[in-house]
Amino acid sequence: MATYLLRRLLATLPVLLLTSIIVFLLMRLLPGDPINMYIGQAQADVSEEMIAQLRRDHGLDQPLPVQYAVWIGKVLAGDLGRSILSPQPVLDILAPRILPTVQISLIAWLLAVAFALPVGIMSATRPDSWADRAGTVGALIGAAMPYFLVGGLLIYFVALEWRLLPASGFVSPFVDPWASLRTSLLPAVTLSFGLAAVIVRQSRSSFIDVLQQAYIKTARAKGLAEDKVILRHAFKNAMLPVVTIMGIQLATLFSGSIVTETIFAVPGVGRLLVSAILGRDYPVVQAVVLFITLVVVFANLAVDLAYGFLDPRTRQG
Amino acid sequence: MVTLPAGRSIAPRRRLSLARRLALTIGRLVRHRFALLGIVLLALEIGAALLAPWLAGYAPNAIDYRAMLQAPSFDHLLGTDDLGRDILSRLIHGGRLSLTVSTLAVLMAVSVGVPLGLIAGYVGGAVDEVLMRVLDSIMALPPLVLALMIAAVLGPGLINAMIAIAIVAVPVYTRLMRGQVLSLKHNDYIAAAQSVGVPAWLILFRHVLPNAINPVIVQASLGIGFAIITESSLSFIGLGAQPPISTWGSMVQVGFQFLELAPWFVLAPATAIFVAVLGFNMLGEGLRDALDPTTSTRL
Repeated sequence: MATYLLRRLLATLPVLLLTSIIVFLLMRLLPGDPINMYIGQAQADVSEEMIAQLRRDHGLDQPLPVQYAVWIGKVLAGDLGRSILSPQPVLDILAPRILPTVQISLIAWLLAVAFALPVGIMSATRPDSWADRAGTVGALIGAAMPYFLVGGLLIYFVALEWRLLPASGFVSPFVDPWASLRTSLLPAVTLSFGLAAVIVRQSRSSFIDVLQQAYIKTARAKGLAEDKVILRHAFKNAMLPVVTIMGIQLATLFSGSIVTETIFAVPGVGRLLVSAILGRDYPVVQAVVLFITLVVVFANLAVDLAYGFLDPRTRQG
Repeated sequence: MVTLPAGRSIAPRRRLSLARRLALTIGRLVRHRFALLGIVLLALEIGAALLAPWLAGYAPNAIDYRAMLQAPSFDHLLGTDDLGRDILSRLIHGGRLSLTVSTLAVLMAVSVGVPLGLIAGYVGGAVDEVLMRVLDSIMALPPLVLALMIAAVLGPGLINAMIAIAIVAVPVYTRLMRGQVLSLKHNDYIAAAQSVGVPAWLILFRHVLPNAINPVIVQASLGIGFAIITESSLSFIGLGAQPPISTWGSMVQVGFQFLELAPWFVLAPATAIFVAVLGFNMLGEGLRDALDPTTSTRL
């Protein structure tokens, strides 16, 4: 298992390296000079020497390969650089944004799993029933619902009309856990729709496949109760593709968080990325994208490791 | 004539004419409930977009300060926006752009991704290895994150958003086609074509592509739905359509500022996006079953 883990970890390195190069180059291709934006923001009348000095300070006068080497070297040492648009270190800007995104994504993920897994299993165990058809149609609708529509409906009805939950913002759970949950719910429900649709479809087809296997027929022939057949014999085997899709969907959650955090004015990683891209703040964009890539790559690694629990045969690989 | 060991055929099966295959696929699609519903939904939206100059009761940019943020009425079926413009007319005209841009983005992605996948799968070796590693790295980034970055590099605008969506989608089609080529290239009919000296490009386009294209067609249908959502998201963030051009996404962006006063301003374009994506997803489901009945996912 340790060798397998090490091999999988090493396999992620080239992906992370290439992604970091892609992100770095894309940022350098952005139109507009970040130093000019910086000066513009400061409303200062600065000399050519000062501009050159600023460019030197941010390492922007160096050739691209040197800039990349310096940047990646610092990143590996834990230094994400300084924001161009504010005097703060990037780490100080990024760190407080992680909690809202992670908390909302986690609640969205839990809501999606709690709703979608039973629906998927029920659809699979009662094929062609009204419940199956409702689940299937619901999944199709859920997958097509844009965040704007779900978010717009939730804000209008739940927050503005019924005044049940706040329409925007985020309160830290360390400040007020109850208010934190209330501010997280609407964005989390918005995010969970698409995710739930995918889990319903995947769990349904996966359970249908497993329930046709000979060992399930044997278990039923022995007279085992249906709930025991599903929970004891089918569940672990059917969950393998479901877990894979849950891992893959993490990237979708990050994509979704960009839009939902903008809709609900949540000060998270997604909203930080948007403001940094619009403000041409290279160091912040690079750090945020690298952070997202790391999370996605390691989530996929965690999915691989979950296989070991669900299917012991993979532990040998 | 190529001689092969007994029992091994050169051609995959008796080839049906293109017209016959098309007729069969359409027949299966029409019998597929979801596909039929998807076609109806898309026909409504595409029909409205095509007939926009005749269907829309008002010019999409006609400002009327006396009719700002009016609720739906007989005069304005979906109400008016913050500048008194008729939302239905803007929706119909905006649909033209949203649907065209999304379809073109997918066509661009297919026309780049499919040849790359054909080459990677057929040539193999270092070309395949390098290409796949680069694509893996691109795919490690969430699609909207990458689209945002590319759109920012190219600059705000609808054409640039379309290019960004296409670039993000290329790896999907490349991987799909590569997988198809890998499963097909060891077939006897390919070996037979190689043995009689048919050039590689002709083998790829005459023998591999026609047998590998079905999953790409299905993915393209689903991909247009993804492209509509991505275009809307980019416009919503401010990197897509720029005023006075409006797409469904840019209408949603402005509408959110008036959600409490005029919910129809957001809900109308957001529902149009939903219907279009649902239509393309349902059509994709139907195409999957119609083009490959052996793996039917009909529900």
